[in-house]
Amino acid sequence: MADYKLTELMTIRCAREISDGEVVFVGVGLPIVVAAYAFATHAPNMIMFTEGGAIRATPPPGLAITVDDPALFTNADATFGMLATMAALQRGEVDVAFIGGAQIDKFGNINSTGAGDWSKKESFTYFAGSGGANDMATSGKRVLAIMPQDKKKFVEKCEYITTPGFLGGPGEREALGMIGGGPDCVVSTMGVYRFDEDTKEMYLAEFFPGQSVEKIKAACAWDLKVSPNVVETTPPTAEEVKVLRGIDPTGFYLG
Amino acid sequence: MADIDKRMTLKEAVAKFIHDGDTVYYGGFQIAVPMALTHEIIRQKKRHLTTIESSTDVGGLDLLVGAGCVTEIHTAWIMNWYVKAPYAIRRAFNKGHLKRYDISNFGATSAMMAGFLGIPFIPIRGNTGTDMIKHNTTDLRTIEDPFTGKKQTVVRAWRADVAVIHAQKADRLGNVVSYSTRGVTDEFGAMGSKRGVIVTAEEIVEPEITRSDPDRVIVPYFKTLAVVHCPYGAHPSASRGYYGLDIRFSQYQGKYERHAELLPHFLDEWIYGCADHAAYMKKYVEKFGQEGLDRLKPILGFKPKMDIDYGYHDPACWKGVPLYTDDRLKAYEEALAAKKGGK
Repeated sequence: MADYKLTELMTIRCAREISDGEVVFVGVGLPIVVAAYAFATHAPNMIMFTEGGAIRATPPPGLAITVDDPALFTNADATFGMLATMAALQRGEVDVAFIGGAQIDKFGNINSTGAGDWSKKESFTYFAGSGGANDMATSGKRVLAIMPQDKKKFVEKCEYITTPGFLGGPGEREALGMIGGGPDCVVSTMGVYRFDEDTKEMYLAEFFPGQSVEKIKAACAWDLKVSPNVVETTPPTAEEVKVLRGIDPTGFYLG
Repeated sequence: MADIDKRMTLKEAVAKFIHDGDTVYYGGFQIAVPMALTHEIIRQKKRHLTTIESSTDVGGLDLLVGAGCVTEIHTAWIMNWYVKAPYAIRRAFNKGHLKRYDISNFGATSAMMAGFLGIPFIPIRGNTGTDMIKHNTTDLRTIEDPFTGKKQTVVRAWRADVAVIHAQKADRLGNVVSYSTRGVTDEFGAMGSKRGVIVTAEEIVEPEITRSDPDRVIVPYFKTLAVVHCPYGAHPSASRGYYGLDIRFSQYQGKYERHAELLPHFLDEWIYGCADHAAYMKKYVEKFGQEGLDRLKPILGFKPKMDIDYGYHDPACWKGVPLYTDDRLKAYEEALAAKKGGK
């Protein structure tokens, strides 16, 4: 079995969610590495959109540190700016909205605004805020999220809904006229989750090597449902890890 | 042609054009953050500013809030990515010194687009169904779509009193050249400003140079109040083609942002203790060495390969040229004339 880090497993697992030829809107952080990896492996015809406003049919020439990184604009296909890439979301042209967040709940709603009760200003701990995640998850055809997992981060109900999942449950997105399909897959530091077609509740689909269903349920604040077909995630091959490390040779993202 | 030279020092530009209580469009995103202007606003102890922008990195706005200049922010995303939090903003919000209005990136971009268009509000898809629309009714509302009767989220137009941006090049008249991202939202935030734009630029070029490539001008001269020649004016954020992100300095600054008792020391040493941006950069080299600056050098060699010519056509060539015709047209016109004559 290949020697790999958790970040590498998460990156390679996320990349498997991207099909060749899809339009992928890439958020800040590990998604940037996932996109570069997907380009280099099974999705050479992917189209990469960023918040900074670059549209690329090819991987950037170097490792981008941010979604507004100069490398993303070097030999891009178009660089019209945030207005143009995010307008494509509103037109319904983005297949995969790939985001992160600080807290997620059982309906896939994401909090990236802060911890605590916003109305109690003295105790609310502000994070950065939505950025483009809200726009991406509202209108992207499907949402792929990458999240660290523990009991404070996988909660019954987000303290602040920054980014809509299925909100309070089935039918709520449709009632508000959202054009995107909502959350499809969540890759955490422990496993992989999908959403029940009827209840819209997140369930465990895969556990990472070294994890167990029990450990994962213990790191989740609600009574997590588990797929009857739950499986261990296929670990990356030595070749996959080699390609990935070639993208981030100094471990800027991967550690 | 009016040839008004708008070049001035950082000090003059901020003293003359930014007033206490102003709403300021804060330019840049993760790069091209107007840091030299940030420092000068802090140096001049401007107060009760409101900022509008979509997203802003490297802690520039965190410093402005921490130094007591900004008391109201409308934003989608603020932090110093290299320490993963907006610490001074967090503290100011907790103490009730800061009003914060949250919105999504495209919500903010659309608000500035509405300001750019000179209309009162604009429909958007995002923010719907979230706590942002619940808590930020100053910027976000739900109305009935007059055409379909369905519920529609709208965002009000944002218009700054004055915009502060950093660009690669500008001429003395105030034509501002920004390329690659074309400023993310700078063109809309700046053009929507009521009084105009203060720009710091890596280089000042002759107007004949900017006019030779007008597609790259994101702010035309009539909108510009002040042009400041300011190399490294975005440091520690980047300026495309000039220098990259100074991650180590952002991490260093971030440690000061993190602790309320440390932050004043950063402000004293790097801002109040420096007469201008050149003094700040000099201090940088003294403290972290020329090698610190050398590490920021970009990989170049990506000049456009497309050979274009903005040529035009001279209509004088039509003088004396008879009208084009042919036998069919002549016959038709003669028949038409005969018919009219017969009436």
